Amino acid sequence: MASKLFATLAASLGPAQASLEFKWMIQQSPKLQHLTDMVTRRSRGEPLQYILGESLVLSKSPNLLTSIPGSQPFGPLNLLTRPPVLIPRPETEHWVIKLADRLSASSAQPKSLLDLGTGSGCIPLLLCHLLPQGSLRAHGVDISTHALQLATDNATLCAIPPESTSKNTFTVSLGNFLSPSFPDDAKINLPYDIITSNPPYIPWDEYLQLPRSVTAYEDPKALFGGPTGLDFYHAIARLVRRKHFLRPGAIVALEVGHGQAQAVERIMRLDAHMRDTEIWSDPWGKERTVLAHL
Amino acid sequence: MFVTVMENKQRLFMLSLSRWIRTPVGSRLCRFASHLHRPSPTTSDTKNARIMRILGKRVQERTQLSSQLSEEMSSAADISRLKQLKESEPLQAAWDEWIRIRELLEETNALLEDSDEAMRALAVEEHQSLNKSLTELVETTVPALLIPPSTTSHLSAMLELKSGVGGSESSLFLANLLRMYLRLANVRRWQASVVSQNENDGGGIKDAIVEVKGEGAYDALRWESGVHRVQRVPATEASGRVHTSTVAAIVLPLMEETGTTEELFNMDDVKVEVMRSRGAGGQHVNKTESAVRLTHVPTGITVSMQDERSQHQNRRRAFTVLRSRLMDQKIMREIAERRATRQNLVRTADRSEKIRTYNYAQERVTDHRIGLTLKNLSSVLEGDGLEDFIGALQKDHAETVLEDMLSDA
Repeated sequence: MASKLFATLAASLGPAQASLEFKWMIQQSPKLQHLTDMVTRRSRGEPLQYILGESLVLSKSPNLLTSIPGSQPFGPLNLLTRPPVLIPRPETEHWVIKLADRLSASSAQPKSLLDLGTGSGCIPLLLCHLLPQGSLRAHGVDISTHALQLATDNATLCAIPPESTSKNTFTVSLGNFLSPSFPDDAKINLPYDIITSNPPYIPWDEYLQLPRSVTAYEDPKALFGGPTGLDFYHAIARLVRRKHFLRPGAIVALEVGHGQAQAVERIMRLDAHMRDTEIWSDPWGKERTVLAHL
Repeated sequence: MFVTVMENKQRLFMLSLSRWIRTPVGSRLCRFASHLHRPSPTTSDTKNARIMRILGKRVQERTQLSSQLSEEMSSAADISRLKQLKESEPLQAAWDEWIRIRELLEETNALLEDSDEAMRALAVEEHQSLNKSLTELVETTVPALLIPPSTTSHLSAMLELKSGVGGSESSLFLANLLRMYLRLANVRRWQASVVSQNENDGGGIKDAIVEVKGEGAYDALRWESGVHRVQRVPATEASGRVHTSTVAAIVLPLMEETGTTEELFNMDDVKVEVMRSRGAGGQHVNKTESAVRLTHVPTGITVSMQDERSQHQNRRRAFTVLRSRLMDQKIMREIAERRATRQNLVRTADRSEKIRTYNYAQERVTDHRIGLTLKNLSSVLEGDGLEDFIGALQKDHAETVLEDMLSDA
């Protein structure tokens, strides 16, 4: 029976990927009923990250499985994932760890961080985890209430409090940073030392080509970046060039889609009036992150 | 006053030593005198004489050290000297005990010729008892004091098992060995976790990496490195023919990121590669591709890790394996350098060497290095048998260290 399940999985993923994922599924729950359910969902194209999660073993009825959060390791953290909130990607994990090394945060002068489109909260939460305690006050905004709930749950899971004088903190608020009324309606405290964002960056034509596991499960609002994919970078540029939005010496770190780094670098230089821009590549050799300094 | 006492002690020491050394007839030291063959009296006497010569030398060094102490005993050098003196106290005590027993023996010797029969009988008894104490002191107490404490005793271990010849049967046996080591870890209260494991399609395990965390794990397991051979009728064999298969074990010191150990490599020398292409990557793809491969360019060591869902975790684990392999190379290099300075025969540390045979038909396990056979295979795989091998191998190692030391004396 198990070999039949494996064959089903291999037919949709290929044998190499299937053997890895099947192993993780068995680690999750060796029960045939659970395995059958996991393999069926995965073969239909559901992302593994929504399927595998610590709470799955606790569930009694297989009918409940879809509503139970999955998980995805992110650096040393294990974050909850829940449809339709964007699943944290390894490319993001990579640049955030690098950014943590770069940020010279010290608890003497706590830095304030704003994460635009925070989703699962992965970026600010990992930074809160990696930087010295008491050195960072992070805030995430998102247009999706699903995202805000998940980010809050993740903060609780990672033991990162919303308020503390000795520890790094993380708070969230609802907000649409494309809207002209932002940031006034988002209850945020200007100015900021660090802006991070993994904004939606997939252009229209590429959105149509995405695999089903992305489009059928993950929020289009977290993926679709307008006709050219650059809408949100223009919006971020408009924000950060406003008076008193950034503190002197501030740093902006933005994840970008493949082939967008040069364009985003230009936007940050020309529209946002930032200096000393840098482009970081991801582990697969794609230009993935644009860094800019005020 | 102090000086006079020292001089007297030293004179006494020279005297005792010359007497002791005069007795045995010198012959070549038998390096591999294992516990299976009792060494002949002459070789053991020569060995004992050498042991006492080393102890004498240590005690002399100690005396010299204490004469270097300044009046105030307060300088940094003094503190280090006092520390060394404190540490070598057991050596001095053993030496004093040896002198004392020797003196008592001298006295008893005279009484052996006594005219009174009762006195002679008493003296014979006394003589025997003193000789026994002396042998115990020289053959057990002193060697234990002389062997330097292990520099690797604090290290945890990383055990790598790889199936060798014999196809599926080798993979099946690998699963047996893995179970054996996990059992041992459990009994010894070490924390063992299988960090990487590849199943074999026909059953069993193709290869596995186990982290064994705990005090003394490396020192106990390091002698498990080598080729383990199994002779049995495979479960898959219809004709009932006995097959011979092998599994290779490599035990490395576990080198976790601690920040305290010196860096074993330069980050610029390590090439980090991700295994598969992700196309556009980022938001476009949500497939889990976490496999990582490290290449340490100067040594050509490569480590691949794909067992974790997180690339970060795989990377961390791969670096732990790399660090462990480099540490192992360093330890091996140091051993080789130390031994290259000697003319002695050296037991090879060759990992392609067959070290042990598990014969199911005869229910026996033989360790070929020390010639030890246990006629209870299941106790080795399922019980305390493995402890007997580990104990014997550690003892054998201690003897080798001592003999290396003796050949320098």
